[in-house]
Amino acid sequence: MTSRLLSTIILTIVMLFLIGPFLIIVAASLSAGDTLAFPPQGLSFKWVLKVFEIESFRASFVMSMMLAILGTLAALVIGIPVSYALARYKVPFGETVRTIVSAPIIVPGIIVGLALLRYLVIPLGFNIGLALFMAHTALVLPYAVRVVSASMVNLRSDIEEAAVLLGCSRLGAFLRVVLPSIRGGILAAFILGFVTSFNQVPVSLFLSGPGVRTLPIDMLAYLETTYDPSVAALSALLAFMSIGIVFLAERFLGFSRYV
Amino acid sequence: MFQNRAEALALALPAALFAAVVFIAPVVILLSEGMRNAEGWSLASYVAFFTTPLNLTVFIRTLKLGAMVTVVAAIIGYATALCIVNLPPKGRGRMVGLVVLPLMISPVARTYAWIVILGRTGFVNQALTGLGLTDGPIRILFSETAVFIGLLQLFLPLMIIALISALENMPRDAIPAARVLGANWLQVFWKVILPLTKEGLVIGGTLVFTGSLTAYITPAILGGSKVLMLETLLYQRVTVANDFASASVIAMILIVMSFSANLLLKRLATARAKR
Amino acid sequence: MRKALLASGAALMLFTQGAQAQERKLVISVYGFAQDAFKTILYDPFEAKCGCKVVVETGNSVERLAKLEANKGNPVIDMAVVSTADALAASRAGLIAPIDVTKLSNYDKLYDIAKDPIGGHLSVGYTFYATSIVYRADKVTINSWNDLFSKELAGRVAFPNVTTNQGPPTLYMVGKAMGQNTPDLKAPIAKVAEHKDDFVTFYVRSSQLVQLMQQEEIWAAPIGRFAWDGFAKMNFPIKWASPKEGQTGGMNVMMLVKGAKNKDLALEFMDYWLSTEIQTKLAERLVDSPSNKEVKLPPAIADNLTYGDDIVKTLDLQPADAILDNRDNWLSQWNAKVGQ
Repeated sequence: MTSRLLSTIILTIVMLFLIGPFLIIVAASLSAGDTLAFPPQGLSFKWVLKVFEIESFRASFVMSMMLAILGTLAALVIGIPVSYALARYKVPFGETVRTIVSAPIIVPGIIVGLALLRYLVIPLGFNIGLALFMAHTALVLPYAVRVVSASMVNLRSDIEEAAVLLGCSRLGAFLRVVLPSIRGGILAAFILGFVTSFNQVPVSLFLSGPGVRTLPIDMLAYLETTYDPSVAALSALLAFMSIGIVFLAERFLGFSRYV
Repeated sequence: MFQNRAEALALALPAALFAAVVFIAPVVILLSEGMRNAEGWSLASYVAFFTTPLNLTVFIRTLKLGAMVTVVAAIIGYATALCIVNLPPKGRGRMVGLVVLPLMISPVARTYAWIVILGRTGFVNQALTGLGLTDGPIRILFSETAVFIGLLQLFLPLMIIALISALENMPRDAIPAARVLGANWLQVFWKVILPLTKEGLVIGGTLVFTGSLTAYITPAILGGSKVLMLETLLYQRVTVANDFASASVIAMILIVMSFSANLLLKRLATARAKR
Repeated sequence: MRKALLASGAALMLFTQGAQAQERKLVISVYGFAQDAFKTILYDPFEAKCGCKVVVETGNSVERLAKLEANKGNPVIDMAVVSTADALAASRAGLIAPIDVTKLSNYDKLYDIAKDPIGGHLSVGYTFYATSIVYRADKVTINSWNDLFSKELAGRVAFPNVTTNQGPPTLYMVGKAMGQNTPDLKAPIAKVAEHKDDFVTFYVRSSQLVQLMQQEEIWAAPIGRFAWDGFAKMNFPIKWASPKEGQTGGMNVMMLVKGAKNKDLALEFMDYWLSTEIQTKLAERLVDSPSNKEVKLPPAIADNLTYGDDIVKTLDLQPADAILDNRDNWLSQWNAKVGQ
């Protein structure tokens, strides 16, 4: 009995520590006052509404969305084949290939952003949006490979071999047998990649230019000039968006099996 | 296993080439830039970096905070994970959901909240004063404590999740068996739980430590210019002074630190396993 | 798979297309302050007038200057606004081109000191500001720059970092209050170092201070007058100090980036910004004090700004070249003594 009580106390404190700040953000965003404060001064939706009026947020939201969706798709387009190859083939230097594609997870993002700025954007006049796209693709690639590989582990290779023996082409076997079975894994990888890319700060820190900014960087910049609760409101909205996506994915796909 | 090398290469090369060209090459060039000067290869930037007292302070602070956050996260992580795995399945799922939840929220928002909580008129100070623990509000913002709290909150979920999956993979009867054999809780933890969950600790520890080293927002917002860490120092060197040589040195330090943390933890894990 | 490929292709096109868009586009680099006001008063009307797009980059002066330097070979910015010292730094680094003032129809309306602040027609002043100390009148009184180090204020002051535009002027006035104002600022920096634990933070952006003041984290901070508006709106009795050693301040200037792709548009924009109409509107919103002497303001507004020749002349300004020539030295002293 005492151990159950102890367990409840520990869990309550830890959860308060983990979730509390988020609740405070939500509460502060509903404040009627002009500065971020808790408890909020009065109740109003004015800051939530203001979020939609700030033009730079709209632009950077679109930017971040595009990066998160397209960067993750691109990572999957190159990540699924390499995962498949590593699972099914004797790839020459297989371990090296695995290390190379998972390297972006180990190297701090700020360095990646700086390196791209220094050697692609500045000397070659590379478009910053394109550099961001490449950086985010590289960043998501390790997650894509890891999650998709994990979903292939349990996939029996004899079905596919049977399909080939029965006259299906290798590509046909892949498209008709393998792809449908790892659909869940791909979707899980997509969601994980999306959330990672969308919330990414260090990589994008140096990769910003006039009119080109990801949403988290824009929020930081806004915070530095204005301390009104609109950033809290935006954060709360974004959090609900992420939570909603993950909740739906979990509900319908059992997302957590893959992560 | 298919044997066709050409097919294997065709499948594996796009990703490998992409990562090598877009990612590895620029980073390697950046790192090499710190090792040369106008005449050729030189370690002058490294000497300059490490002989500047401010840089040393920042380096030590980063290492110290990273280690502290990792150790504290491990302690809280074990306590929490043990509580969670002992819950009935339904409660367990809910708790895991609550632990994962903060990971879905932008770190900007999570750090931002601490400004309100840790301020002079914030929660923590109200509680401390109310409980009579301090005479009046104390200054927490812009201190190492604030950065520590922010980092812990940011990375604790990773540790908890790693430990939960490690504990779930532990043989079910290991703990009761040890108890029956007369081991007290400390011995159970030290001789049974720790060795059997070391993999999880290694994964969690690496994630938390490297995460703390390379966090930017938390030291930037909660530490400010008084509590610089390597990542904020790097940003400052580049944006204020176009000082790419120092940036390259810091980049090298960060990469070496995350790699060695990884190796060290792996080494520790195998050393314990051999005993 | 195929869909994903198509989408990625589309993405690449979208991203690259942004760069090739042939629309007339003016790229400016400004301080992050009061951007909503600038947008309604300046950018939007200018866009309507020129039929072009104004793209804005914001940040503090030092950071934006570093970016200009990094992009020297292929400038993305057409015009930038910075402090006089940073403008001088930009000119020494060969980053800016002379402004053809004959193209500025409002040029003759400017106060004389705004006409050519760093020489060679490399810059035009568009606003002045005083720098002094804001403080909570119900908690402390400030009559001298020395009061920043007073016992009552220990742990309640945010001091500008030496890398900001407000840092050196503040140190300069502290030195003056100590009676030791050598150009190397040795004495004031040593004094700040001695009291460094008493400062809440060494701020980099003054906009952050409103929140700190609101949370009672600080009771006083040296700021530029352009940041005053946020404090004036607070529920606390906030005052602008008139220290006995006087107030300092600065001027912000516009400059034309060398190799700018839209030089004519940039000049047109500068002229528009300097016009009596725009300068009046910006002043009325308490955003920037005018450098156009034809701007007429009611006393209530003028009191909140750094308005008029007489006021500007009373400011104890550090010369731009003095700032620039000593800046590296200040920074290394600061890092060695305060930065630890």
